[in-house]
Amino acid sequence: MLVVFALFSALALTQIDTLHAQTPEPVAPEGSYSESQAQGIDRMIMCPVCPAETIDQAQVEISFQMRQIVRDMLSQGRDRDEILDFFVERYGKDILAAPPKSGANLVAWLMPIAAVSVGLIAVYLVLRSMTRRGTAPVIAQPVTDAGLIPYLQLVDRHLDMTRSAPQTGSTSNPNSSGVEPLGESPGDSTATDESEANVDQGEQGK
Amino acid sequence: MAELGAISLWIALALAAYSTVGSVAGKLRLSPALVESAQSAVYAAALALLVATLSLVIAFISRDFEIAYVAAHSDLAMANRFTWVAFYAGNEGSLLYIGTVLAIMSSIAVWRSPEKFKDAMPYTTAVLMLTLTFFLAVIAVMANPFDKLPFVPLDGEGINPLLTHFGMFFHPPALMAGLIGITLPFAFALGSLLAGKTGDEWVDAGRFWGIISWVLLAAGLLLGSWWAYTILGWGGFWFWDPVENAAFMPWLAITAFIHSVMVQKRRGMFRMWNIVLVNVAFGLALYGMFMNRGGSVPSVHSFGESSLGWIFLIFLAVGVVVPFAIFIWRYPLLKSARNLDSMLSREAAFLVNNLLFLAIAFVTLWGTVYPLLTRLTNDETITVARPFYDQVNGPLMLALVFLMGVGPLIPWRKAGMASVRKTLLPPIIGGLATVGILAALGLHKEYALIGFGLATFVTTGILMEWFRGTRSRHRSSGENYATAFLRLIMANRPRYGGYIVHLSVVMVTLGIVGTSFFSTQVDVVLSPGESVVIENYELVYLGSVETHKGNRTEFISTVQIFRDGDLLETIRPKRDFYPSFNMAATSAAIRSTPVEDLYVVPSENLPDGSVGFRILVNPLIWWMWVAGPVMLVGTVVALWPTRVRAPAPVPTPRRLTPGTRPTTA
Repeated sequence: MLVVFALFSALALTQIDTLHAQTPEPVAPEGSYSESQAQGIDRMIMCPVCPAETIDQAQVEISFQMRQIVRDMLSQGRDRDEILDFFVERYGKDILAAPPKSGANLVAWLMPIAAVSVGLIAVYLVLRSMTRRGTAPVIAQPVTDAGLIPYLQLVDRHLDMTRSAPQTGSTSNPNSSGVEPLGESPGDSTATDESEANVDQGEQGK
Repeated sequence: MAELGAISLWIALALAAYSTVGSVAGKLRLSPALVESAQSAVYAAALALLVATLSLVIAFISRDFEIAYVAAHSDLAMANRFTWVAFYAGNEGSLLYIGTVLAIMSSIAVWRSPEKFKDAMPYTTAVLMLTLTFFLAVIAVMANPFDKLPFVPLDGEGINPLLTHFGMFFHPPALMAGLIGITLPFAFALGSLLAGKTGDEWVDAGRFWGIISWVLLAAGLLLGSWWAYTILGWGGFWFWDPVENAAFMPWLAITAFIHSVMVQKRRGMFRMWNIVLVNVAFGLALYGMFMNRGGSVPSVHSFGESSLGWIFLIFLAVGVVVPFAIFIWRYPLLKSARNLDSMLSREAAFLVNNLLFLAIAFVTLWGTVYPLLTRLTNDETITVARPFYDQVNGPLMLALVFLMGVGPLIPWRKAGMASVRKTLLPPIIGGLATVGILAALGLHKEYALIGFGLATFVTTGILMEWFRGTRSRHRSSGENYATAFLRLIMANRPRYGGYIVHLSVVMVTLGIVGTSFFSTQVDVVLSPGESVVIENYELVYLGSVETHKGNRTEFISTVQIFRDGDLLETIRPKRDFYPSFNMAATSAAIRSTPVEDLYVVPSENLPDGSVGFRILVNPLIWWMWVAGPVMLVGTVVALWPTRVRAPAPVPTPRRLTPGTRPTTA
């Protein structure tokens, strides 16, 4: 399963690398542009006077004007980067809705990837160490024969129920935290349901 | 009313403080009487806060403008039903609301606290009441809604027009209740740590309250999106605004928690991890409340801005550092009851699920904090807005949807490769078939293909589970399929309720993928009689009517929708202008179908009678709003109290005895 998630993070990686390819700018005759292309640019420019809105969203005069500038520049044959640069020159880098993918600001983009990678490795290591400990005598032999599962679950269930009577008294025991019963806790009827559902599946598997 | 309100506020503060000290002192001095009186103080504090709330409501209804808060958030023209909204329109009232909700939830938690948790309950009570004391002290000293003006104004300033929308009746209160609700699972976890009860005693109550705050936050977020969609007038529903993020992050953490707590409930594992998660969720909830009250990042929610920021920041620091210190102190006691049997097991899937939820929360936090970092390190600020979150969180969310399809199909403990392959085969075939068919139909946006493929993958998996379970009940007991299906769901509510919620998440996915990749948008200025074509629709603008109504001017435009020459519908999008706020509130006309929404909103009314329209075709967004009720149903199923199962002979275990379960879950 971790492999699949590695794949997903790889997907995220490639996406960030090919980001400029993601909003394709088809080579068109000079001065012609599509409205969706213009809207794509609108969504990358913040409205300078309204909090946290792009010029695509904001309903104020200046954003109407800026949208018009985007379209004028597109019809003059300028491409997206030129238009963004034009606005950055006038308003500063904070006019861009996302950090530029260059220089020091690359950190903004790489940090999430680093965090997810570290997280994946950590989860893998934790799972591995938990499984290694698992070879201890707690569960002697993992059940591999699917046909045995319904039977073993029936036994588990039986154990739960026979244990439930003395168990109710033991909850007030302050030292009970270390020693845990092997079965599910007695009040947990959902657990019993779950094993029933598994029994159903087990029957299904035959 | 001002006096009654202020006095009951102070009484509640005193009671909360007493309850905090009394619980701990009673526990340490082994005085059950003291513990009991501290618990009664919880109920009394809730009662006092209800009186304070009622006083403010009455002050609003009688338009008691001597009270500064009432004068600032209502006027004579305001309809009485908006009192509900005006109540939390500013800091003072919303804090009072938060305090009251916390007191009520605490009372229920104390009243319903499980017998097995008795030893730790005084500590939990103390944590709850300490939090309440903080809020009440802030209200009483710094943001008192009952403060009076030195004079009585003739009229109030009126309610913010953006708040007078149906969605605003539920979105803010649901979110605020959800944020403060996270205090409860947190208090149960911390109480159990403080008492040294590091087993699973707190898990049932923690899960119950975790799900309550989860559903409140989810409903609040969905309603907020719906509100933004219908009223903000730009055609979208979510734009990663800092305050949206502030509510979204704790929701992510609590979602991770309600999943991983199942592992502890079922298997006695992940004990440390669950406590860490609930601490993280609480920290993020405090952060959310801090952002909402004068946070340092600009946001469309800035109407609640104030100087309360720093005091929340201090509480945030305390609320994060102290619990982690306690956690480290108790660390040696936190041992899992069991070990992991296999990497391929539901336990492991839950851990990866947690990683992904936290990763999204981290990316969101990082995006919120990054502008501040750039401001500190150089002179220019860098903005982090929607494009960043879409690109980074998008793939992570798709990974989560994938896991949502895999996780529930993997059995606990250990899964055999062969059986997993067998269970996963139909969903995989379903998903791949969807991708194939869509690609053959000419859909070439890879993210959309993945999104739709995964949606089918998850749905197939869930339907297979339902079908299998129903069929096996039908075969073994002879119940007809409908009865068998209902009994199947009732037999394991946490599981099948969870599946219903998963289906609602698939619906949300459809809405997000549909609008992110396939929406069409046109901005156009039309004179009466002119028309515009978008996708298959032709829209004819007939004209606008302008009416002056007290505090606003209403512009109602009439637009006819044609498709293939047939008149489908006549719609009337509206734009209200409020001169006193210099603000316009739009109300989009939406022709909504499961296939696509046609969305028409007037963005400006020009003097010559022409109107600037924004028109969108948003595919599949209908599913997003339907997801809300579905999710609610799933949550109710998952939380519905299960009946106690009496010990019975093994061969016939399906005997139920009357009577409800003693615990809250």
